[in-house]
Amino acid sequence: MRFLMTTKGTSPAPDEAMLAEMGAFIEEMTRSGVLLATGGLEPGGVRMTSRGGEVTVTDGPFAESKEAIVSFALVEARSREEAIELARRFWKIVGDGEGAVQQVFGPEDAPR
Amino acid sequence: MSGADALIDRVTSRDAPLRDQGALIDAVWKLESARIVAGLVRMVGDVGLAEELAQEAVLAALEQWPESGAPDNPGAWLMAVAKRRAVDHLRGENRHGRGQERLAHDLATRPDGDAREMDDVLGAVDGEVGDDVLRLMFVSCHPVLPAESRVALTLRLVGGLRTDEIARAFLVTEAAVAQRIVRAKRALADAGVPFEVPSGPDRTARLASVLEVVYLVFNEGYSATAGDDLTRPSLCLEALRLGRLLAGLVPGEAEAHGLVALMELQQSRSAARTGPSGEPVVLHEQNRGRWDRLLIRRGFAALLRARQAGGPLGPYVLQAAIAACHAGAATPEETDWPRIAALYDALVQVLPTPVVQLNRAVALAMAHGPGAGLALADTLTGEPALARYHLLPAVRGDLLARLGRRDEARAEFERAASLTRNAPEREVLLRRAANCAGSAMLAGDSGASVLDGSVGGVGGVVLGAAVRAFLARPGLTAGTLRSYDQTLSRLCLRLGADLPLADVTPQRVAAVFTAEWGTAAGATWNRHRAALRSFAAWAAGQGRTSADPAAGPAADGAADGAAGRAADGTAGRASDRAADLAADLAAALDRRPEPRGRVRPIARSHLEDLWARPDVAPRERALWMLLYESATPAEWALSLDVQDLDLPGMSAVVRGRRHRIRWEAGTAALLPLLVRDRRRGPLFLTDRRPGPGRAPAAADLCPHTGRSRLSYERAEHLFKRATGDLDPEGEGYTLHRLRHSRLAHLAEDGWTAPMLMSLSGHAGARTLREFVRAGQPAVATADPPCLPPERPRVPARPSA
Repeated sequence: MRFLMTTKGTSPAPDEAMLAEMGAFIEEMTRSGVLLATGGLEPGGVRMTSRGGEVTVTDGPFAESKEAIVSFALVEARSREEAIELARRFWKIVGDGEGAVQQVFGPEDAPR
Repeated sequence: MSGADALIDRVTSRDAPLRDQGALIDAVWKLESARIVAGLVRMVGDVGLAEELAQEAVLAALEQWPESGAPDNPGAWLMAVAKRRAVDHLRGENRHGRGQERLAHDLATRPDGDAREMDDVLGAVDGEVGDDVLRLMFVSCHPVLPAESRVALTLRLVGGLRTDEIARAFLVTEAAVAQRIVRAKRALADAGVPFEVPSGPDRTARLASVLEVVYLVFNEGYSATAGDDLTRPSLCLEALRLGRLLAGLVPGEAEAHGLVALMELQQSRSAARTGPSGEPVVLHEQNRGRWDRLLIRRGFAALLRARQAGGPLGPYVLQAAIAACHAGAATPEETDWPRIAALYDALVQVLPTPVVQLNRAVALAMAHGPGAGLALADTLTGEPALARYHLLPAVRGDLLARLGRRDEARAEFERAASLTRNAPEREVLLRRAANCAGSAMLAGDSGASVLDGSVGGVGGVVLGAAVRAFLARPGLTAGTLRSYDQTLSRLCLRLGADLPLADVTPQRVAAVFTAEWGTAAGATWNRHRAALRSFAAWAAGQGRTSADPAAGPAADGAADGAAGRAADGTAGRASDRAADLAADLAAALDRRPEPRGRVRPIARSHLEDLWARPDVAPRERALWMLLYESATPAEWALSLDVQDLDLPGMSAVVRGRRHRIRWEAGTAALLPLLVRDRRRGPLFLTDRRPGPGRAPAAADLCPHTGRSRLSYERAEHLFKRATGDLDPEGEGYTLHRLRHSRLAHLAEDGWTAPMLMSLSGHAGARTLREFVRAGQPAVATADPPCLPPERPRVPARPSA
């Protein structure tokens, strides 16, 4: 089962110790075969809306930055509990913040 | 060890808080088992003892967490408890004068275990965790063990799988797996296998053994060799994890990266390699849009790391390079077959097995034409190792067909079908065999009746030929053809393709039907029956062509059971006895009732309309909301008594069912209005007291009001009446459908089968499959009332 973990804008700026700890955590997750992909997102980005066939591209303004998703991790876990446990470890390192863990459906889950 | 398994089992099947803890412990254990067991082996020097100590820690967690709550850092908790047990154990041995050497070996650098802080000792061990895991892998994959024991022990110790999970994955009994593990641990102890990573020339051979075990696990999942299920994907994922872990521990070993690359690339095709009904789809027919680009990218990256590690190209790197050629081709036509053929030439040098030769034959055929491939494949027919290998005749059949040698091709396909143990694969092979015959038939006898005098009349025709002719008729849609082919191929397989048609009796047909589809769903049975009737009608028409040419075309148009019925009606008039027989073939097979298999969910918008209605009585409103929110069977809800309710906890226990109903805010707001100041008796009551002479049981009577328990019939009637105008079919919805609507909606929102089971009290995942499958795995549109405050947690085990 794949899960996408996302974090919204976190409050404290990461210090060096936290970055090091996070680096080690990511390395360990990668090494144990759990972490498939991870990355950070620019805040906001370009907003797109489609209404009545008309696609609109907007540069802003955006909702508050703490509402925006700023980083993600795609993991391959054996169960929802395992994914949650991994996320728990992540938050232990990061500290305060908010995010989500959602199962990712792939082509094998799609109705044929 | 089985103690903890059993306890996890028990805990996971009991009520929710305990189950939550059981699932959490299982998840944490799987994440940590390799490091915990490895650390313990280093301390106590024995795999068996280490595992027992680790299991003691799991048992302690199962005892303590449900009461005290999960610790802040569950993984570290397990690790710490396990290590304390190990230290206790060593001290105990020390007191008894045993284990001195072990102590000396393990604690040599530590002046005095007692005098030092425990955590210092534990901390000292922690630094070498990675190496310990690697040692553990080398030990559990030691060549002194038979392959199956290596696999079981590795999954158990490194993967953290429970005995029952391994047993299910390998289709053997739990006892057999337990036995393998026990024997393996004993064998390791007897052989005195040291806990170390071998060096020198030994290392290469031992690493090969580890790689082999990982790949065995992967292959078992990838190409399940028995049963109807083509993949047992969790094993593939487990192998991928093991492989990635191993490659991280031995980054200088090209073959470890090669194996990872190979598995990532093969796994990237997992969604595309089976068709809608589970049949295998060959590489060049796969929908490449379903390939997992992320895994392909990871595969390429691993292959790159393998190349960077240097050294001669080993079998895994070469196989991965071949897989990469396929993965890199946007369409089958773009496949670089000459390069693949060259890679196979290299592979056969380092891995000169008949199977590799066979694959090389395929590559040669693609690169340089079927003749070149067949020449190589023909040299393999004498190979004892391939004597029972279905892919040899399958490949030869394919090459022969491409060379236009259809009769030989058909024989090869049929032989391949008789050799494979995989049911969907067999279907494909039989279809290809039939196609060979069909094409030959069309080419040779186009337009002519194949069952006429040239082969001596119907009586002289054999079943296989008749079926082939039936399926080769023009005008059949692909779907009809496949459906008919499934039925008739099975019939041929069971009765023998060379059985004279005249000897195909209704009794024999009925016996095949009972054996093959006796326990299948009504719809499946009826589908096969319709196919048979269509065939029978056609055969009857063919048989009559000499006497009554007009009968042919009518029967020929048969595409379903309707035409079969028409043939039944005319069978009495037919003069040919064989035609009678053929038309009657389905006589012993009754049509079976088809329950409305899929309960279609009620549209969310309809339910919103229903909730918004001002004219619904409080009782109805509460009952309906409860059924929807809790997805509980209506009988269970109606059986509730006031004293069963836990209003603050928003739940109630169904007596005698060991199931806890959980509802949400909507029901929670309504129930107090319904209960008022009642303290006992049925929750849902009739409007009036029962009349004289219709006294219900005391348990169904309200002590406060004298009214009786609302009946299912009445509740159903009221719901149907209330929803008649919402239901597009005008009949009104049933309570059953209301309940199932919630399950379908939750499935749409991404709930998995075990989660739904735990919410709804469905006994098996089978009955829930329709929801999980039916649901679009779409992201939930904003739909707040559907999300319970806390989702039920369920064990990590795959639902049986």
